Amino acid sequence: MSRIAATFERLAESEEGAYIPYVCCGDRGVEFTGELMRRLSRAGADVIELGLPFSDPLADGPTIQAAMVRSLSSGFKVATLFDLISRARSDGMDTPIVVMTYYNLIIRMGLDIFCKRLAEAGADGILPVDLPMEESADLERIAGAHELDVIRLVSPTTNDERMAQILQSARGFVYAVAISGVTGQRDSLPHSAIAMLKRLRDKSDLPIAIGFGISNQEQVRQAIAAGASGVVEGSALIDIYARGLSEGEDGALDLVEKHAREMKDSARAAVASREKRS
Amino acid sequence: MRAKGYFGGFGGFYVPEVLVASLKELERDYQQISQTAEFEAELQSLLRDYAGRPTPLYYARSLSDRAGGARIFLKREDLAHTGSHKINNAIGQALLAKRMGRSRVICETGAGQHGVATATACALLDLECEVYMGETDVERQKLNCYRMNLLGAKINVVKSGSRTLKDSINEAMRDYAATSEDTHYLLGSVVGPHPYPTIVREFQSVIGTETKEQMARETGGLPDALVACVGGGSNSIGLFHPFIDDEHVQMFGAEAAGDGIETGKHCASVVVGEEGVLHGSRTLILQDDDGQVSDTSSVAAGLDYPAVGPEHAHLSASKRAKYFGVTDQEAVLAFHLLSEAEGIIPALESAHAVHLAAKIAREFSKDQSIVVCLSGRGDKDVAQIAKLEGRL
Ligand SMILES: Cc1ncc(COP(=O)(O)O)c(C=O)c1O
Repeated sequence: MSRIAATFERLAESEEGAYIPYVCCGDRGVEFTGELMRRLSRAGADVIELGLPFSDPLADGPTIQAAMVRSLSSGFKVATLFDLISRARSDGMDTPIVVMTYYNLIIRMGLDIFCKRLAEAGADGILPVDLPMEESADLERIAGAHELDVIRLVSPTTNDERMAQILQSARGFVYAVAISGVTGQRDSLPHSAIAMLKRLRDKSDLPIAIGFGISNQEQVRQAIAAGASGVVEGSALIDIYARGLSEGEDGALDLVEKHAREMKDSARAAVASREKRS
Repeated sequence: MRAKGYFGGFGGFYVPEVLVASLKELERDYQQISQTAEFEAELQSLLRDYAGRPTPLYYARSLSDRAGGARIFLKREDLAHTGSHKINNAIGQALLAKRMGRSRVICETGAGQHGVATATACALLDLECEVYMGETDVERQKLNCYRMNLLGAKINVVKSGSRTLKDSINEAMRDYAATSEDTHYLLGSVVGPHPYPTIVREFQSVIGTETKEQMARETGGLPDALVACVGGGSNSIGLFHPFIDDEHVQMFGAEAAGDGIETGKHCASVVVGEEGVLHGSRTLILQDDDGQVSDTSSVAAGLDYPAVGPEHAHLSASKRAKYFGVTDQEAVLAFHLLSEAEGIIPALESAHAVHLAAKIAREFSKDQSIVVCLSGRGDKDVAQIAKLEGRL
């Protein structure tokens, strides 16, 4: 069984929601990224999403764009991603790792080499942000051959028929996009997101992680009550360590770790209270 | 299941899921609306009475004499309303937006020509208009910004990435992902995800269709070659497309070679770009070894784009069209040449095509003919050239 599947199985058994932080590779330096992964894992992250910086991230909001610009202008190279993952694995980190990337970076290296190196480094999945199902046959075949899950996205504007088709090829978990737009913080979950979660739950037994705009514990409770298996948080984490950096890197990492624990606690509690209610 | 919108191995539909529903709706509505007689009639009447079509086809005798070879004809898109071919697409899509029930239109612009054309079409059709424009471009194109304001458009200054055209496209797509219920994204060239490369080509094909009729009247036949500048590739596809099946008509695209291909400061994406995915399309892209998109450079802001429309990538791969780099210096010389020889000041973008045409004319005989798409007029560039030459 894949590491991702095993993780969600364990969470289902212990009735916990998943907490999935997103980390932009190379922002504030590669060492910082490595340390961030370690701290998040220690705080209880169930899956870590590692984002590859891209020059033209059209699905991302201002916070992640800025992080990507910082990373690229400090000289980040795609090859570093594999080092980061294999180092985390040799340090004993067992948290599943999903790599979030724009498709051009995969094409450039070659689908087979990219997937092979990811698998060898110890990653578990790929989440291609700008690859809809119409274009994804090649990647699905090759990733599958390397035992990597291709994580599929659905959005509130994905209609029922399309959702069913996407779910057919979905592996690991489904990534539900909470807003019609780009990443960045929002206060609460829009109605369309709640409706999407219900539609997804009706159609599939796969775990559902909801992301884009998640930053607080109230949203975690809302999302899980509406049927999500967990939440993804990105921009908010970047903002937290940006604020903390005036206290030095350790201070920033402490703040992130504390926040991550709180989010994981909410995710843990939310499933139990959902079960009680139903 | 293969996506639609492929030209050979290029094109397609590489977009985040949040954009899928809007683009599918656009594809469907475009197919339905553009085929109605009513839409066609309204478009034709606006192109004629408002935009000034058909634009003339002019035999440039003096330019031809100086080049020394084929007879060179100029397709005068510079005489269309707002001063460039961009108006053809802007009116077509604005009309489409109106009929799709949208009240707001957004667009990207580099030089400002597409922004001005879109602002114009929106003023005409009473649509709210917002233009995304990179901070760098806003600084170098102040006059066009003022024109857009006069026309009632709002400019959103883009401060992300390299702050130029490619970042404005990213920003417009982000806006569209969140607002497509009431907003149409009026993309300005034959780039981006399906259905844009097809929609924009269809609205620009009026250039080639008119040229064909005009050449038949003028010379009794087809031209021997077509030449156009290629940024995203809309004026060139507009000229080329109606001739694609006329195998004996050769096609030449002039890309901006900036300081020279060897310097790395250029935007010749067909000549030296490599396959990849940018802005929703599989095409030829200027990129580094990792797949990060390169910064580009050209004296002509309208050509300053690191990729090219997918249909050009296909025309190049299938050898139906040939593409050459023209440097800043060569373009500026052609800018002067056309001004002096014909009394026509071309846009710097179009000057790239003029240079290439004058160069290849020598390989043709005097009874052969070449049509150059003069995509825009040079008023917008006069101050820049005067400054470059130390006269301002
Ligand atoms: C006058 C003129 N010609 C050409 C272009 C290049 O665009 P395309 O290659 O889409 O025709 C522009 C773009 O702004 C332009 O203003």
